[in-house]
Amino acid sequence: MRNDAMAGSVTAPISRGASAGGLKAAERRIGMLFAVPALLAFAVVIIVPFLRALGLSLTEFTLQSIEPRFIGLANFSRALADARVLGAFATTAVYVTGATAGTVVLGLAWALILHQSFRGRATLRAISLLPWVLPSTVSAFVWGWIFNSRLGVLNAVMLEFGLIDHPTAWLATPGGAMAAILITKIWLSVPLFMAFFLAGLQSLDREQIDAARVDGARNRELLRDIVLPHIRPVLLVVIVLGVIGNLQQFDTIFALTRGGPVRATTTLSIEVYRQAFEVWDIGFASAIGVLWLATILPPAIFYLRHLMRGA
Amino acid sequence: MLDLRSPLARVAFAATLVMLGLFLFFPVYWLVVSAFKSNAELYRVIPTPFVLAPTLEHFRTAVLKGDLLLHLKNSLLSSGASASLNTILAIYAGYSFAKFRYRGRRAIMIAILSAQVFPFGLLLISLYPILNDWALIDTRSGLVLSYIVFALPVSTYMLYSYFTQVPDEIIEAARADGASELRIFHTIVLPVSIPAVVTVFLYAFMWSWNDLLYSMTIIVSESNRTVGPGLLLNYLNEVNSDWGAAMAASILASLPVVAAFGFLQRYFIAGITAGAVK
Repeated sequence: MRNDAMAGSVTAPISRGASAGGLKAAERRIGMLFAVPALLAFAVVIIVPFLRALGLSLTEFTLQSIEPRFIGLANFSRALADARVLGAFATTAVYVTGATAGTVVLGLAWALILHQSFRGRATLRAISLLPWVLPSTVSAFVWGWIFNSRLGVLNAVMLEFGLIDHPTAWLATPGGAMAAILITKIWLSVPLFMAFFLAGLQSLDREQIDAARVDGARNRELLRDIVLPHIRPVLLVVIVLGVIGNLQQFDTIFALTRGGPVRATTTLSIEVYRQAFEVWDIGFASAIGVLWLATILPPAIFYLRHLMRGA
Repeated sequence: MLDLRSPLARVAFAATLVMLGLFLFFPVYWLVVSAFKSNAELYRVIPTPFVLAPTLEHFRTAVLKGDLLLHLKNSLLSSGASASLNTILAIYAGYSFAKFRYRGRRAIMIAILSAQVFPFGLLLISLYPILNDWALIDTRSGLVLSYIVFALPVSTYMLYSYFTQVPDEIIEAARADGASELRIFHTIVLPVSIPAVVTVFLYAFMWSWNDLLYSMTIIVSESNRTVGPGLLLNYLNEVNSDWGAAMAASILASLPVVAAFGFLQRYFIAGITAGAVK
């Protein structure tokens, strides 16, 4: 599961003919029926599980319990006093900030490059989404192999250039492991962000650029005064999408470090998984999950409002 | 757009291009190169930058030892089924939102789009006992059903944006001729929407194929396992780390999505960035 929360679109489409006013009531009813199957599926796989998780978060439910026992908000006060849970919040904050910032900067740079005409650009564009399509386990393997302590190419190159004195077990150090999960996530998300930015750049007004050039604007002024303001709306939505996706990310972290060493890369997604499927403390896991959802809610609301604009 | 006439600008551009290009493509190159190296070459302390003597031994190991082919088949079946189901649901919902105005439309649309903001791990906690009650743990149907979560919101939105661009006039003309709503959709709207439908199918397929969390949790037995957890459990566990075979197996596991994507990438990019260009 890639967890990119990636989504359809950066700007809501302007519906060309919303003039459905002439529809008869019967037609409208049929129109609504079209949405019913999706709504049912949504209810079964999202709403029911969600409400149940919400309920479970108020209960004590572990391997030892026969059935959930209502304990009110006890799981929440326990979670908010638990150093490991608070640690997972901090780790998540570092991960989300680093991954989102890194992906936005590199994605924008790559889009600016691919917007320029040069020989081989078409090929580069065509293969650019490759890291994004690979399965998450594969991405983790690829980077795990590069970071490998004994045979990894990273150690070999750094030793060769004298940057390190002896091979480092990157994934066994807290900083190295965090860097590795960040690099892996940035690597697989840059292609997608590039695609969004490129779409934004392609709608730039040529004449406006030419006029700025005539006025003597250099590259820096052009980027600052025309390009950045133009893609600002796209930028904002891409950042929000990145934050949502990175808050959710589980697969590559789990495959690469399993949350370790010790707890150095244990984000909320990993912590919830551990509590639910390793400790089987279902009530507690649900409470952490609800707190986790609360962190996703603000960017999510922003994003949904954006999607619904013009609908 | 950028002015690259000055030597300094050219150097800066080329340097950024090379560095970012290396970052994006070197890992893929290294994956392929490593898969074709013999063990003797693979386990050299100073790695060779390309393959000196290409060999298929790791591919042989990947295919013959372990259950990679079985896992690939399981993934193909569950991803294919869930992508089909997802696409069908999204087609009708997207059309409903794009071309009809009724009370509750916005609310239903928001509900479906909001599906992508629920943390999958949280849903899984309670989806698990539900699937258990229905005897769907460790079954393909259980996995297929759970996978709807991933792609439905984005698929619906992609098709919604696409359908809004289908001119109302042709739909109204068909209505005036007395065609039923279903017939209008199936014979007029759907045939002109094939690229969007294929994109959505592919997108949903990719999500399911690439999943780790759900397949790792819902599927328990080796015979039902899919390719993501299969790779993780068979290679790189504590006892054995056969990197060569892991790389070869990774390539085989990536081929279906890479091939499908390469085939359709133009539609695909247009689809996922739908509406970004005005």
